[in-house]
Amino acid sequence: MAQRLLLIKADGSVSIHSDDRAYKPLNWMSPPCWLIEDPDIWTVQNKAGEKLIITLEEVLHDSKHELGPEPGLQKDGVEADLQKLLAEHVTTLGDGWTLVRREFPTAIGPVDLMCRDAAGGSVAVEIKRRGEIDGVEQLTRYLELLNRDPLLAPVQGVFAAQQIKPQARTLAEDRGIRCVVLDYDALRGIEPDEFRLF
Amino acid sequence: MKIRVERDGLADAVAWVARSLPSRPPVPVLGGVLLDAESDDSLTVSGFDYEVSAQVGVPATIADGGRALVSGRLLADITKALPNHPVEIAVDGARMMISCGSARFSLPTMPVEDYPALPSMPQLIGELPGEVFGEAVGQVAVAAGKDDTLPMLTGVRVEIGEGKLTLVATDRFRLAMREFPWEPDASLGEVAVLVPARTLGDAAKTLGSSGGKVEMSLAANDGLLGLSGSGKRTTTRLLDADFPKYRQLLPTEHSAAAIIEVDTLVQAIKRVSLVAERGTQVRLEFVDGGLRLSAGGDDEGSAEEELPVEYTGDAVTIAFNPGYLLDGLGAVRTPRVHLSFTTPSRPALLKPVDEDGNVAPGYLYLLMPVRLPG
Repeated sequence: MAQRLLLIKADGSVSIHSDDRAYKPLNWMSPPCWLIEDPDIWTVQNKAGEKLIITLEEVLHDSKHELGPEPGLQKDGVEADLQKLLAEHVTTLGDGWTLVRREFPTAIGPVDLMCRDAAGGSVAVEIKRRGEIDGVEQLTRYLELLNRDPLLAPVQGVFAAQQIKPQARTLAEDRGIRCVVLDYDALRGIEPDEFRLF
Repeated sequence: MKIRVERDGLADAVAWVARSLPSRPPVPVLGGVLLDAESDDSLTVSGFDYEVSAQVGVPATIADGGRALVSGRLLADITKALPNHPVEIAVDGARMMISCGSARFSLPTMPVEDYPALPSMPQLIGELPGEVFGEAVGQVAVAAGKDDTLPMLTGVRVEIGEGKLTLVATDRFRLAMREFPWEPDASLGEVAVLVPARTLGDAAKTLGSSGGKVEMSLAANDGLLGLSGSGKRTTTRLLDADFPKYRQLLPTEHSAAAIIEVDTLVQAIKRVSLVAERGTQVRLEFVDGGLRLSAGGDDEGSAEEELPVEYTGDAVTIAFNPGYLLDGLGAVRTPRVHLSFTTPSRPALLKPVDEDGNVAPGYLYLLMPVRLPG
């Protein structure tokens, strides 16, 4: 038999993990369910009568820890923050650039940033934490739609991310989309250039 | 518990108490309102979430005394929707029966024992005319910060000094300050506390609109402020944060000033800012005898409008966030406003103007301009 990690949570759920990636359990049962512990055999059962039967041969380690109430996850550096920061410092993308607006609406969803470059041309910016192929595809769809608008066309594209996968970069450049790697900490360090009382 | 109470009084009381309850209480009982019918002729409705407490009495006919705790939001919705008939409330075991006209409700009650005791009112420090206090808080709270990243900006600073009360709030883009004469309890001395703006605003509005006196009580060391009047009382925890040193921000001189009709300007700003994408900026171009408002630009639509103003100073163009400017114009509470400034990058000052055309003392709204394009 294989060595496995069994997790029993306070809500009664039981999950079985192998030593493989940050990945979903091999098998699990969600609450409401209950655990019947017999010697060498655990049975987890729910109201529908479904059973998860675990055969135990040897217990290597058994411990119990209270994790306390869940304070919620504080995300840092997520796309929304990046978008806000980049909107405040559009000139990171090019000198003389100005922001038209964040979340520029299109029929298939909002583009993260709509900008004007120094020459006044429209630029659509898609922001990701990790730049992958699907992000490039997304921006391509936006560009196709935006370029139908006579008030905006021609619209250039910029794919901005904290890191950009080589395949994504190749695809983007092949489609004439510029790739920009963002330095989140540097962006955060710049004071916004709006006037404030203090 | 078995009582009979007028629908309007009950609905108002429950709505007022339930308003300060948390929408997602960490412990279910904190989302409840406590109905207390222990006295002879009055029902006391109270709520408390460890931050804010609210309590109000309603005249009631009490057949059988007692206390019960039910979901505040649900009770507020129910009482608001009840027809205009006397309401009978009875508690039977773990359920509360509410009947009014032909409508009947049965609500589960929560254990009264688990409910925290409301903080007692701190020491009374003085009485204020409700109307003045309500208006003053409304004029100032508008400038308080809305997001919690800088807690000191979400409060209204209440300064009790020699013979006057000063209220100040700022969110770094604007600052509102109101002062008025007030004689608190002599033993108090000078005190300054920071009160959550939303709670203070709500309390002052409710207590001020009933027209009577508002009693202020304070335990600065325990971090508790109490306000009461016309049968209602509320307490709130004070914010434990340092308010910015704001006196040094107030400009002492100006090089240009205008006196403008508030209503005309407000209407014009609302019109031209329609083209300003998400309230970015509205530009004010002052020339001798006139003001041209404009918004928008080459990328989107643009708009402009001209108004006559009394203006002294050199021609200048200054831009503001239209929302913040409208907040300030709404807060001066006079038909005309005095707008003064030095340069397009230094803060501008809005002050009320009295009937004789002079600047009325007591209130100011300091507003930071926004950067002009190009």
